[in-house]
Amino acid sequence: MPAISVTWVLPDGNSRTADVQEGHNLMEAAVSNGIAGISGDCGGALACATCHVAVLEGSESAKTCGEMEDDMLDMVDGERSETSRLSCQLIASSDLDGIVLRIP
Amino acid sequence: MSTYLLHADKRLAAEEKQTFMSNAPTYEIDLKAFWRDPYPDLKAMRETAPIAYVPQLGATLLTKRDDIFVNEKLIEYFSSDQPEGLMTVLMGQNLMRKDGAAHMAERKVIFPAVSPKAVKTVWNAKFEELTKEVLQRVKPSGRADMVRDIAMPISGEALKAITGLTNMKWQEMDRVSQGMIDGCANYAGDPDVEARCHDCTASIDRHIDEMVPILSETPDMSLLSVQLQAGLSPEQYRANVKLAISGGQNEPRDVIAGLIWTMLTHPDQYDLIKSGQFTWLNAFEEYSRWMSPVGMSPRRMTQTYAVNDVTFDPDDRVFLMFGSGNRDADIFEKPDEFDMNQDCSASIAFGAGPHFCAGAWAARSLIADFAMPLIFSELTGLHIDGPVEFGGWAFRGPLALPVAWDA
Repeated sequence: MPAISVTWVLPDGNSRTADVQEGHNLMEAAVSNGIAGISGDCGGALACATCHVAVLEGSESAKTCGEMEDDMLDMVDGERSETSRLSCQLIASSDLDGIVLRIP
Repeated sequence: MSTYLLHADKRLAAEEKQTFMSNAPTYEIDLKAFWRDPYPDLKAMRETAPIAYVPQLGATLLTKRDDIFVNEKLIEYFSSDQPEGLMTVLMGQNLMRKDGAAHMAERKVIFPAVSPKAVKTVWNAKFEELTKEVLQRVKPSGRADMVRDIAMPISGEALKAITGLTNMKWQEMDRVSQGMIDGCANYAGDPDVEARCHDCTASIDRHIDEMVPILSETPDMSLLSVQLQAGLSPEQYRANVKLAISGGQNEPRDVIAGLIWTMLTHPDQYDLIKSGQFTWLNAFEEYSRWMSPVGMSPRRMTQTYAVNDVTFDPDDRVFLMFGSGNRDADIFEKPDEFDMNQDCSASIAFGAGPHFCAGAWAARSLIADFAMPLIFSELTGLHIDGPVEFGGWAFRGPLALPVAWDA
């Protein structure tokens, strides 16, 4: 399975980059890479709002959330931005290669 | 009151009680002592046998927070589908007893009824109104049992609104909730208990039947209505409304009463709320960690699987002990203390997987935004006025909380 490059910018300004296999969601990728601030309590069921990120660099589709996700984003920790997403809903695919996510 | 929690716990133990067991070390408990206070045994298990088979419960317990957090998500091994369980047999197969796509499909249907947006735009106004009504009713008497007279009607009235069964009295809501809990605990097959459970599910079905034409005519955001709008089958919407009733009554009741007790017995912590240093939501989250209202969730193993040194076999019964994980000393600074100064964000009080409590947002708002501030503002001089006892390990809360105030 091909992999894409994902970068997380942490609250302290440092960043981490990892290869993520296509098909995996970016919440799972963050948890397995030990990215602080992403806990993914519900495992991607769109129920907990604990995998909030802001898309700093990425395609327009990566910055656009779905209806249920939009509703959940009102409840996230940290300020919501125009490009806020729940990273459980971002599935690694070639069009996300090089994506940069900020942890609020 | 003690029967509420006792029966609820027996239900969950009994529903899963089988001879299936993993190769985990055995840890013996005294059931009565465990019901009165499970925390000493759970602490001993975490320290000596974090995954332990408990013969008195007929299940293998996961007691460490991270073991629960990781494994609850592995639904291909730790399944919620328990077709032989009394809950499924008596109440129908609700979404909590489904996994994967079948679970998510129904979860998506009910989302509009329990989403943060619905809570904000629809339920909050109702929560405020019903909480004030309950408090106005009891206020002149100057004393009450916080559990029975205040927390229970607040919880029941909120549940009426959210389920869509506005034609039901809150006392009936409590009766049918308890009747189903008792029915699911009826492993001895007592025909009276079973008959009462059938009477309760029949009452719910009658109330649903009355509301279906009304909600079909004038749809709203209630649990019943959104399922009707989505075209779910009667079996599906009946089972899911029953799940909400069996699971949505005692938890808010226990947290409201338990958190009131906590504030009255921890004045230093209450001062932190009054000074604005912490919010009622902080208090809610820390209380739910410290005295988790849902202490356990059952699972059935689907295939052979190893966690640490323990190998599970298909059909092994597993209890995910949320209440234990929430006092894990490897995770929390002061696990056995209520202290809002500590970081409780790793709490798994609402679960740690796809079955994450669907009512979490409604519960947070009902309790933190309305019940707690209004109880303290309306009942001035609120104080404890008698002995208080907690009970339960699967569901835990105060059995009674006598209080008085300046009438």
